[in-house]
Amino acid sequence: MDVLLRELREGPDGIPEYHDTEIAADELTIGSAADQRIQLLGRSVAGRQAVIRKAGSGLEVISKRGKVRVNLKRVVSAKLAVGDIVGIGGHQLKVVQPPGGFDAALELRMLDDVDASAFESAFSTDLMQTWLGKRKAAWLTVALLLVVGLMVPLAAVMMHRMDKPIPAFMPSDKLWTSGPLNPAHQQAIGDRCDACHTQLFQRVQDDSCLACHQTIHDHVAPDRLAQTTLDETGRCATCHREHNEPATYLVNSGDGLCIACHADSEHKFGTLKVDPVRGFGGTKHPEFMAHLLKPKTTQAAGGFTFDWVPVVQSLKDGKEDSNLKFSHTQHMDPDRVLRTSDSKQLNCADCHVLQTDGEHFEPIQMETRCASCHELTFDPGAPDRQLPHGKPREAILMLQDYFTRKFSDPNAGKPTRERRRLPGHDEEEQTCTGAPFDCAMRSARTEIESQFSRRGCVGCHVVVDTHNEALLERFQVYPIRLAQDYFPAGHFPHRNHLIQGKLTGDEACLSCHKAKDSKESSDLMLPGMPKCEECHSERAAVDRVTVQCVSCHAYHPLASQEEKR
Amino acid sequence: MIHRSLLRYGGARYLWWSLLVIAASCALYATQDTTAQPPNGGTWQGYVLGTIGALLIVWLALLGIRKRSYKSTAGTVQGWTSAHVYLGGALLIVATLHCALQFGWNVHTFAYVLMCIVIFSGLFGLYSYMNHPQLISKNREGGARAELFAELFELDRQARGVAQKCAAEVTSAVDSSIERTSIGGGVAAQLFGRDYSFFLRSAGGASTLAGNVDQQAVIDFVAARLPRAEKGAEAANLQQLIVLLCRRQAVVRRIRRDIRLHGWLKIWLYFHVPMTVALLFALVLHIVTTFFYW
Repeated sequence: MDVLLRELREGPDGIPEYHDTEIAADELTIGSAADQRIQLLGRSVAGRQAVIRKAGSGLEVISKRGKVRVNLKRVVSAKLAVGDIVGIGGHQLKVVQPPGGFDAALELRMLDDVDASAFESAFSTDLMQTWLGKRKAAWLTVALLLVVGLMVPLAAVMMHRMDKPIPAFMPSDKLWTSGPLNPAHQQAIGDRCDACHTQLFQRVQDDSCLACHQTIHDHVAPDRLAQTTLDETGRCATCHREHNEPATYLVNSGDGLCIACHADSEHKFGTLKVDPVRGFGGTKHPEFMAHLLKPKTTQAAGGFTFDWVPVVQSLKDGKEDSNLKFSHTQHMDPDRVLRTSDSKQLNCADCHVLQTDGEHFEPIQMETRCASCHELTFDPGAPDRQLPHGKPREAILMLQDYFTRKFSDPNAGKPTRERRRLPGHDEEEQTCTGAPFDCAMRSARTEIESQFSRRGCVGCHVVVDTHNEALLERFQVYPIRLAQDYFPAGHFPHRNHLIQGKLTGDEACLSCHKAKDSKESSDLMLPGMPKCEECHSERAAVDRVTVQCVSCHAYHPLASQEEKR
Repeated sequence: MIHRSLLRYGGARYLWWSLLVIAASCALYATQDTTAQPPNGGTWQGYVLGTIGALLIVWLALLGIRKRSYKSTAGTVQGWTSAHVYLGGALLIVATLHCALQFGWNVHTFAYVLMCIVIFSGLFGLYSYMNHPQLISKNREGGARAELFAELFELDRQARGVAQKCAAEVTSAVDSSIERTSIGGGVAAQLFGRDYSFFLRSAGGASTLAGNVDQQAVIDFVAARLPRAEKGAEAANLQQLIVLLCRRQAVVRRIRRDIRLHGWLKIWLYFHVPMTVALLFALVLHIVTTFFYW
């Protein structure tokens, strides 16, 4: 629209002058701001106070801030007709009859006593005059903090207790968490803090842990604890600290907690005999003691019975007493023993196979570990026939059956010839001239005596000849028992030690176990703590791997250990 | 200058205090047995660091009271402020060691963030107090802001007077440029010196609202009329007007720069003070919620 704006101003000589301006705009903005089309100055005029625009054939005024006066009436908006007067902050804007070519005409009579300097002093020249405020910001942030960080989470706690579901958008007590949960715990309980924190201002109680961990055993059985002067064992959370980073951390593996009790075991442990421990290595830790089995023979009808008695001995004095005849030296000498499969020197792992726990070894069995070299053949003429292992009666009966068949078989040519091996002599054949059964029994007896007392069984086993008339009762073979775990109180991950620095393969095994020098099976090839200290220390060092008590010792006894207690 | 001597107060004795606090905190942090528990606020060292941090926060906030206690004899305000600056910097290290850089969406990290806002706004304030007073006095050439405004109003009066004697378009342009000069304004306008000035450009009876940033457009408008001036008196008036408007331009520039420098000198307080209050509450909440779920 085209508007004619006529301003009434006072000329330099005090005579009022009209000043006309043509304005082409969709609407006329009115206010004290510099960008308003009609600028009216004064304290009661807002920056953007009002607009005047076309409405039908006439005009309308719309106040943007508060109200304006139209013909002395305060209104928010009003239609304007010719002759109407709009009053804003003392200024008057009169709608007059527009001359030809104009859509509207306005006559502006400004308030006289307003001079420019008054408005300039009203400029906002300090941040204090803006919306910024220190108190406002402080209280807003505090309110936000108390509502979101305290009140709403407290409400969530109450709702949890009343088993009411919490909307996903609602801030809950997880805002109080001091760090991430262990992933397994996170998976199990999610954001329910009250799964463990049952009471405000109370530490997590063991009951919360035991609700899920029902099979865990305490460090000391109550009857043993009663023998000591110690208090109750600490809360689970004494060692198991949650909300750490990394989240997978869950066990306080520091030695301090262990040593707090074990360092003074002489006084604190009462009648329990436990060596004092003040750390790892040197004089801080007791010497390693080997748990061995000793055979105890008891005379019984027609022979012996064996009991295996556990004994604990020092590594220096301890001797294996397994009843096995075996020389590691011999088996590891490539000039004397080679593998049957590829004619190469035996490796440790050919006989000693790690169990899946990575710690213990499969028990050595004759059938799986020895038989590939040590066949139980007894007749070079029948290399496919072998004696049953571990069953002396069966072996005797089998030999008798074998020779009976051999001497009575009409299709076997001359059964009267038998071969006999003598030490230091080439095989020579002897002739039997008696009845086939007698010849067979005699040959069988000869072979049986040879197997039990000169070659065969006696090569590895202790065999006692009781000179009993009854052949089946005559030879007693001592049973063999090898210790499965020399150090049951500790665990040693063999698998982690298959490579030690630059040592690998047999070299790694032999660095601890002096097998090449062991001629007797009674040799205890167990390394002591100084060997561990070559690579490990309790304090971090450049050339040492740090170990703590819990690296070797379990705090919670395993179910198998628990049974023994 | 007082602002410079803030850091050198007492031979920078609080710098050494601060370094001592930092060194002691680092040593304490290093004693944490990482095999027992990863470093965090829950180890005994963590609790000690947290206690030191909390005491520092409370003491640092007490500066707001001490500087208003004119009768107090507990050290000079200048000494307090010097210690406030140095120990405030040390607090950042102490609190970071306390939390061992473990952050999350929780009230504890919120307290840490508030503390960082307070410390970094404080450091910005320190920077402003070191630099801006010099720039301000250089800009004002020793005078006060009121003097600049007085000079502006005097120029306004003279320019209006001369403009009255000129053609109607010039009168309208000069009057409107004076009335529509924008100085200061909102936060952004004050801090960045935004200029929303306008003037009415009239030609042949019609007028349009034209931008007048830095008062340059109105000077150009008046100058453009100079070659077309018919009478000698008119040319003289226009020349006089141009001189007045140029002087006015210089004064407005100076006032705007003064407002801008003052804004930057004070803006940090609008973060530092309210966030300190919020931090004190957040600190209490941090401690209370820690023991809610012990």
